[in-house]
Amino acid sequence: MFGKIFCNIIKSKRVLNERELEYKNPEEAAGGLVRRDIIPASFRGSVRIRQVDAGSCNACEWECIALTNPIYDVQRFGVDFVASPRHADIILVTGPVSWSMARALEKSWLAAAEPKIVIACGDCAADGGVFRGSYAVAGGADKIVPVAYKISGCPPSPADIIKGIRGALALLCGPHKGPEPK
Amino acid sequence: MLPRNAENYIRVQPGEFAARCAGIFHAGGRLRMMFAADERETDGFMNIYAVFSSIADHGSFDIITTAVEDEGGFRYQSITPRVPAAHWYEREMACMLGIVPEGHPDLRPLVLHDMYPEGVFPLRRDITAEDIRSKVDLARDDAYPYKTVEGEGVFEIPVGPVHAGIIEPGHFRFSAVGESIYFLDPRLFYTHKGVEKLFEQVGFERGIQLAERISGTSSFCHSTAYCLAVENMRGVDIPIRAKAVRTFLVELERLYNHIGDIGNLCAGTGFAAGYAEGAELKERLMALNHRLTGSRYLRGVNKLGGVSRDVLEDVESISAELSVVTDEFKAVMKFIMSSVSHMERLEGPGFLSREAAVKLGATGIAARASGVNDDLRTAHPNLFYDRIIFEVHTRNRGDVLARMLLRADEAACSLAMLRSILRKAKPQKKELMAADAQQDARPADISGGRQALGWVEGARGSIFYFVKAAADGKSPLRVKVRSASFCNWPLLPFTVLNDIVPDFPLINKSFNLSYSGCDM
Ligand code: SF4
Repeated sequence: MFGKIFCNIIKSKRVLNERELEYKNPEEAAGGLVRRDIIPASFRGSVRIRQVDAGSCNACEWECIALTNPIYDVQRFGVDFVASPRHADIILVTGPVSWSMARALEKSWLAAAEPKIVIACGDCAADGGVFRGSYAVAGGADKIVPVAYKISGCPPSPADIIKGIRGALALLCGPHKGPEPK
Repeated sequence: MLPRNAENYIRVQPGEFAARCAGIFHAGGRLRMMFAADERETDGFMNIYAVFSSIADHGSFDIITTAVEDEGGFRYQSITPRVPAAHWYEREMACMLGIVPEGHPDLRPLVLHDMYPEGVFPLRRDITAEDIRSKVDLARDDAYPYKTVEGEGVFEIPVGPVHAGIIEPGHFRFSAVGESIYFLDPRLFYTHKGVEKLFEQVGFERGIQLAERISGTSSFCHSTAYCLAVENMRGVDIPIRAKAVRTFLVELERLYNHIGDIGNLCAGTGFAAGYAEGAELKERLMALNHRLTGSRYLRGVNKLGGVSRDVLEDVESISAELSVVTDEFKAVMKFIMSSVSHMERLEGPGFLSREAAVKLGATGIAARASGVNDDLRTAHPNLFYDRIIFEVHTRNRGDVLARMLLRADEAACSLAMLRSILRKAKPQKKELMAADAQQDARPADISGGRQALGWVEGARGSIFYFVKAAADGKSPLRVKVRSASFCNWPLLPFTVLNDIVPDFPLINKSFNLSYSGCDM
């Protein structure tokens, strides 16, 4: 669904090489997807994410950063990354949780205000990924904080991450009332 | 086929080790890496290895090794006072193997944080991962002795490990006077994942997946260096087309990194339009990566003995895409460089002198932007690099601007190399068709105790792997990974002195060091 949408964006860029087409009307370019399709009403159109790197290889972070670039432009859906966990609705964890980051992760989680959820982003955060069995990692974010939703992939693509955020919010607030994106 | 790039292992007495290393270093031999291996099971002692680029024999390595015996603890005379580039390597050995360099100026624990108990040395062969795990205690308090500056008007700014943006974790203690940075004491290794020990646990084949995940944006260079090390150890020469494929992807990785970094620098100065342009072009390259290899980070292509797919099959469409990239890259550079306020901001901060770069063992962009002509692609050509003629670009200013411009030079150079490899890869050219890229050249087995180096000049600088097989030849006894960032992180505190605190993110971005690559 989402994967296809973003593939199309990039593909159309490659074939047409015509910027206007994508930027004139982002919702149109995203297959008629609008803000309320991603964010449940109880969040009133806006979710804020604090991303915490708990020992990732950095590819997962780059995909989060890519979400904010002009192609994926996730802010247009009301989703944004914030500097402080105190401003966050979602703690998005990447990495297998190295022991050295375990306490920092826990503190970040505690600092966020309710209601809040943790998303484990990437295979590492889900279960340790390739680093499982190492002496230096907890082997998954759920060993340290309560994980509500896992996004698989190594790394998950930017489109997978948006899909995951949507799924996690649906889990928290019940299924979406709006139409399923085409 | 491998007369150059030879590895000369030179064993010396423990008493001579420091003098020998200092002799090579002061004659201009670059210290490439230094590490130790616990070889008590075969030799009865531990060995220290210091890898230098040979001065007399261009293209080969002199590897000075010495034994360290247990005399109520493992000790040897530190070489850091005479070879400053060895600073972090010696601290690392002390932390990971318990080999104490006597006379080292700074023996604070480098890698392991306070939750690891004292006296646990993960890379010793007689301790298992489970043993170490069971001893980790997250409740133990942080007692790292930061270096502080005292005096009137000096204040301390602690930053991290969780930073404001989407970046990797590290802790920085600034001692500032007014806005100027007087002293910086960084503490890293928050992302330490015990990868070197894990290599020993998972065996040679699965090591590739680990190498790919040491540093996300250097996935391909790391896995290539690892594969080369294992292949060298096995005495395998991979098919020529596989070399071409690897070289192509190494350059593609350099290209997307450099372009991304140039864009990111704009974020450092608040030049949003420039950042957007850079990010967009980078995204185009990521899509190309995905199209060629099925992974945006070029994972899953390398395998021992070659590559798993021939990414150069569709020469025409790759060429077409690269020509679009070339045009857009020119336009982006023109746009970014036309912003006077952006360019002015880059001039001056983050100065690294040539002398410091050489002494502290800088590598990659950091070294070349300070006038050090050092690039493994010409100093120790492997893969396809002895067939491509190119010039090593350097800059002399040593500041943020120099590093940005050098990245642009190198990106253009990579684009030219990519085109030249594509020309050679056309089906009608017989040159690269001698052997199938997917051919598996793996010989039957590895005899125990064999060892070899593998190396690649990645986007951040030189990457080295050392692999040694255990006595049974089935698993590694030691895999040493030396990423470019491990060499360059110790430079950072020297480059920020007297710059203002708000320039720090900019300076940091201009080096673009990997935390995960360093911490492993
Ligand atoms: S899931 Fe994969 S990409 Fe993400 S941090 Fe782990 S190794 Fe890196």
